[in-house]
Amino acid sequence: MNRSSRQHLPELQGLELALLALPVAALPHAWHQPLWVTLLVAAAILLRSWFHLRDRKPPSIGQMALLAAFAGGLTFLQYGTLFGQEAGTALLLVMMALKLLETRNRRDIVIGLFLGYFVVVTTYFFDQSMLIAAWSLLSAWLLTAALVQVHAGRPLERRRLAKHSGWMMVHALPFMLILFVAFPRVQGPLWGDPQRDEVATTALSGELNPGDIAELLQDETTAMRVQFHDYVPPPRAQYWRALVMTDFDGRRWQAEGGESSIDLPQPGDPNEVVAYTATLEPTRVRYLPVLDYPVSLPDNAEYRDNHQVVRDRRIVNRIQYDAEADLTRPPGGDEALSRSARERALELPPSAAPRSRAEVALWRATHGDDDRAIIQAALDRFAAAPYRYTLQPPTLEGDVTDQFLFETQAGYCEHYASAFAVLMRSAGIPTRVVTGYQGGEWMQRGEYLRLRNADAHAWNEVWLDGEGWIRVDPTAAIAPERIEAGIGGLTGGEGESVPDFLRRDGLGWVQQFRFGFEDWRDFARFRWESWVLAFDPERQRELFARFGLDATDWRDIVTALGVGFGLLAVAALAWNVWRRPRRAREIADRLLQRLSRRIERQHTGLGRRPHEPVVAWARRVKAARPDLAPLVDAFAEHYNRARFAPARPDERAGHLTALRRLAVSDLREPAAAQASLRMP
Amino acid sequence: MRASSLGPAERLRSRGRRLREGVIRWVTRRHRDDGAQTTLGRDRIYILPTRAGYTLLAILGVMLLGAINYSNNMAFLLTFLLVGIGHNAIWYTHRNLLGLKVSALPTTPVFANQILSVSLRLEDTRGRDREALHLSIGEYTSEPVAVPGRGQQVASLSLPAPGRGVYRLPRQHLGTQYPLGILNAWSWLGLTSEILVYPQPVDPGAAHTALGDQAGAQRRQDASTPDHIRPYRPGDPPGRILWKALARTGKLHIRETVAGGRDTLWIDWSSMPASDTETRLSMLCHQILAAEAEGRAWGLRLPDQTLPPGQGPAQRERGLRALAEFRFEPIPLPVAETARGAKK
Repeated sequence: MNRSSRQHLPELQGLELALLALPVAALPHAWHQPLWVTLLVAAAILLRSWFHLRDRKPPSIGQMALLAAFAGGLTFLQYGTLFGQEAGTALLLVMMALKLLETRNRRDIVIGLFLGYFVVVTTYFFDQSMLIAAWSLLSAWLLTAALVQVHAGRPLERRRLAKHSGWMMVHALPFMLILFVAFPRVQGPLWGDPQRDEVATTALSGELNPGDIAELLQDETTAMRVQFHDYVPPPRAQYWRALVMTDFDGRRWQAEGGESSIDLPQPGDPNEVVAYTATLEPTRVRYLPVLDYPVSLPDNAEYRDNHQVVRDRRIVNRIQYDAEADLTRPPGGDEALSRSARERALELPPSAAPRSRAEVALWRATHGDDDRAIIQAALDRFAAAPYRYTLQPPTLEGDVTDQFLFETQAGYCEHYASAFAVLMRSAGIPTRVVTGYQGGEWMQRGEYLRLRNADAHAWNEVWLDGEGWIRVDPTAAIAPERIEAGIGGLTGGEGESVPDFLRRDGLGWVQQFRFGFEDWRDFARFRWESWVLAFDPERQRELFARFGLDATDWRDIVTALGVGFGLLAVAALAWNVWRRPRRAREIADRLLQRLSRRIERQHTGLGRRPHEPVVAWARRVKAARPDLAPLVDAFAEHYNRARFAPARPDERAGHLTALRRLAVSDLREPAAAQASLRMP
Repeated sequence: MRASSLGPAERLRSRGRRLREGVIRWVTRRHRDDGAQTTLGRDRIYILPTRAGYTLLAILGVMLLGAINYSNNMAFLLTFLLVGIGHNAIWYTHRNLLGLKVSALPTTPVFANQILSVSLRLEDTRGRDREALHLSIGEYTSEPVAVPGRGQQVASLSLPAPGRGVYRLPRQHLGTQYPLGILNAWSWLGLTSEILVYPQPVDPGAAHTALGDQAGAQRRQDASTPDHIRPYRPGDPPGRILWKALARTGKLHIRETVAGGRDTLWIDWSSMPASDTETRLSMLCHQILAAEAEGRAWGLRLPDQTLPPGQGPAQRERGLRALAEFRFEPIPLPVAETARGAKK
């Protein structure tokens, strides 16, 4: 790069910085875009840099049009469209790169940089982590610096650009916060189905079929995080119900949405209510996992007649909700089971599980009408060897229930829940399967419960007249540690592999450290997600309500914005007054007052009187306290010089520094002040 | 061009220009005459978005729509951050002008149809570096000027000089788009300064020579009038120094041509071989320059004014000024205005 080429192209000042800022802004896309997009962007930037260094002319309009058509065609071939998140982003990146390539004047650079901001925003289609947020700040900082350089009219020093751009970001932060909180939020989408091409999410399956949850059990990603408001229930009471399955075809349990919405039960003892805030990762379905047994739900959720909770729309973004549970109030306890509901909860395909039915018939014969005894018999059967709990059960063929109960005798929650339900139904006890989460990991840092997808669980509810749907967890009979300590409590049988992330005990310090770090990271992520990412119209309404405002009323929004910006203006004004370069006079006077006050405190009457000349005051002090003579003499000298002698600014600053030191020097041991006597 | 039949579009444009001019005149009514120096206060700095500003606004609008549509909180955050930066740019840009001390520097006179250079001195007194300031007059805009904190810098603007005359500096426009280019802050200045434009020299040529000694340049050969000898004063032409006297006395003396003296050339309005005023002035201008080049003493006779004979830069300036001012009431310097006004 020679200096002359820069001078030949004053229009292109800032291009170098733009050539740095734009790739930085585009970098996160490299992980999400097809390789050719990344290569094309990189090539365009390198080529443009080369043109710039060699002082070559950028390609002509015709060549650019050809390139643009080519790139647009490639995008279309790749995605079959030019719109939507992925195709649109690819197109944007490509066009930004081409714009940069053809840059020939200031306007081109400015447009390129504006597109750069847009490129940053599209990153969030794919990733909303804190890392990306930090990277965005870096990108915006560089882009803004480039924009400043473009308009500076002369090459500015890098430090100045960096500072200038940095301060711009800092000054904009309060605006960002106020608008983020108070800008009227409406529930998207405004058009289309934005989540159509979103990355896959994990959710509990609407079907229960041996083998299903096993996939989830290997999934260490977070499903939800929960903060309890005060009381934290013990792990064995933490059942998060999501789906209720009543229909069974001999092999598969099917979830259904219920027929109508019903009122929530009243909590038994208001003091026993467990209140919590849950942050749920997007599932793309409507069910809402809630702690058993719900007594209070967010406004946009319904309690269905099959006792599951659904939201008014699919959960496509991370959401946060407040709910309450009463651990002791099983659903349906206050009413009778309708005839049709009872029939449904007893239905078994006629051919299903003949051996099991025979076994149940024996139990009935033994225990008569005692449903509880039947239940206990089934649990006892599971508790007895050779049943074992394993995450890698053998596959089941034929009649899954009979094969599991009498042959393989190895499985996990699903197998037990399904088999138990079949046994109960055979005995004429209405039973259903409930899936959701159980256990989870208590995060000491941040004090919240983290439920991973691996914490998915299945259990049963049996109907007992007069008591309602009572939870029975057959897994607790075979593997109580699964319930007490969560899925991480499983150590695995002989020769069995438990997913790495589930092992916490007996690890070397490296792994310990790694897990410690993981905990930290999850804590930070949780905070980020619950404070930033989960803020939605719902949360905004709650926040406004806390100040007695209604977030759906435009007047209240205007009020909130007005108060926010008003406070900001006052703060800015105060800052300006505070930052106003104070005159040496004021500073010197303040220091004089300070020293005078300190001396007055030791010797009443020795403080400086109003209108007393400093030198006269010094004389008075010296007479009373000869040991302070050097101090007050020096002070008077510096004071007069700082205030009255016409000095160069740096000299004056020296006097003020000396005054500052003297004003706080030790009055009991003035010898210490001697050191600072020398005039600067 | 037939002045009577302007096209409707042209008429509309000229009406728009007049309206615009009227608005500016009304807005600047208190600052029409700033004298030689003024300080830009809040009451006279105006600010509006540029085209790039509107583009950014549109982009932010799209970003906001996207954020709403995809319920993407990070998109909200970035959009609002940029909104904040864009909003703050209002005062960044405003502050780039605020408190700037501006004064008009004297303009070097030029001959008609030459390039005129107008200069303002910009001075910062608040310890803030000012960047990318543009001075413009009419459609002419200077290169960007940067003023260091507590320093000063000269902003110069080259304009084509009009015909000869005495002009006032027209309304000046000091603008800036720094730092982001999304806003344009400007102030109209009414600094006063005199601009002298001398006539374009025209050689009277052969016609003049023919008229020669008859009336034009009257050379009075009067041997009886001795040269006046006086001590040297700085500025006297070296050709007049009496070197022999210097050798004799050790002091510098010069021979001065007394008014009406032997070598005096009278440059006379009535003897110029042209009928119209401007051509005559051009010829007179040429004669003055020629006399100065020869180092001769000369006097100037105009219908309403006579310049006593003399020689040297001061005499030259006096003569040329007389020509520039001849029957000319000072008017604002005519400068072409673009339709969009004094913007780059």
